[in-house]
Amino acid sequence: MMGRTEELITRLASEGAVPRGNMPQHFLLPLALVSAVCIGATALLLDNAFPTYHLRGWMPMVVKWGFSISLLLIASAALLLLGKPGRPSGWMLAALALPFAYTAYFVLPDLVLRTHPWPGEMWERCLLAMGIMSPIGFAGAIMAMRWLAPTNLRRAGLVAGFFGGAVAMTAYAPFCPGEGAVYLLAFYFAPIFAMAGIGWLAGPRLLRW
Amino acid sequence: MNLGERLDALMATVRGGKEAAYGQFLTEASHAIRNTLARRIGADADLEDLVQEVLIAVHDKRHTLDPGRPVLPWINAIAKYKLIDHWRKKGRSPIVLEDADDEVAADEFAGMDVAVLLDQLPEAQAEAIRLTHIEGLTGAEASERVGIGLSAMKLRVHRGMLRLKELVAEKE
Repeated sequence: MMGRTEELITRLASEGAVPRGNMPQHFLLPLALVSAVCIGATALLLDNAFPTYHLRGWMPMVVKWGFSISLLLIASAALLLLGKPGRPSGWMLAALALPFAYTAYFVLPDLVLRTHPWPGEMWERCLLAMGIMSPIGFAGAIMAMRWLAPTNLRRAGLVAGFFGGAVAMTAYAPFCPGEGAVYLLAFYFAPIFAMAGIGWLAGPRLLRW
Repeated sequence: MNLGERLDALMATVRGGKEAAYGQFLTEASHAIRNTLARRIGADADLEDLVQEVLIAVHDKRHTLDPGRPVLPWINAIAKYKLIDHWRKKGRSPIVLEDADDEVAADEFAGMDVAVLLDQLPEAQAEAIRLTHIEGLTGAEASERVGIGLSAMKLRVHRGMLRLKELVAEKE
């Protein structure tokens, strides 16, 4: 039996030690590709970008993009870390809470005062966009992770879900007239958590290596 | 110098351009893997199978070890993951694959009916060899078609080929 292990070592050594592939091509490209597809398709299909700018300036986008882009970046970094065996990832998962804390700072007063009408305008389109684009972003994250070696598949699936939701929100937010705490909770946070939950459930099946 | 330091030094040597040290790195890695697994499962009959599976994973996923990072925690994490996966698989489907090796030169099969030889192998191994050595699929393509991981496919080919080698030796 030991002899067979030695023969295996000889065979593996003969394949060489040069690492397979490179990070830009195998990890960053799928993430960038799904982001570009979602953002590009949304920009092509929808009119009237930044619909509330004339009333409220950039503030709604500061909140929405501030949240979604930071979640996108933190989730990307967390995916990379989770894909490397032996690297502690708990602190990076905790960092995923930062975008939510950031948003809470802006919208919590609204949760009390309820200054925005519920459910707001065009919420169905928002939900549809999140429902269509989140799985696309999620698929890109799964593709990227399969090149790496995640050892906690549920955690990796969860973060891939957050990434998918963040991609969808980043793409759709510029065309969304909806505002307010309840709107964000119902039509952005809930779909993002749903995608993350699906990722948590599906991670072990999709990411096994 | 302890095992972890030897592994770090060997990996640094390999990445410094001395590819010849890679075999020695894998040998030292196999000791580390065996130690880690033996602590968890003792002298289990599956120990050496698992060592081989983890070695293949270490080789396939070598790009996930960042330069300068300690090697041992990385290897241990892979070993633990593969052990859990092994337990999961055994829990669901208690199939024990045969031991084997795949370093078989093509001319060893000269004059023999390969189909007959393959029939004497477990179906999973025979299928793996048919796909990769007869149909000419890559390991990744074959693993996708069968619906298993690349490492598992390589292990099936590896074990099937060794069994074939034994069958050829028995016939000679």
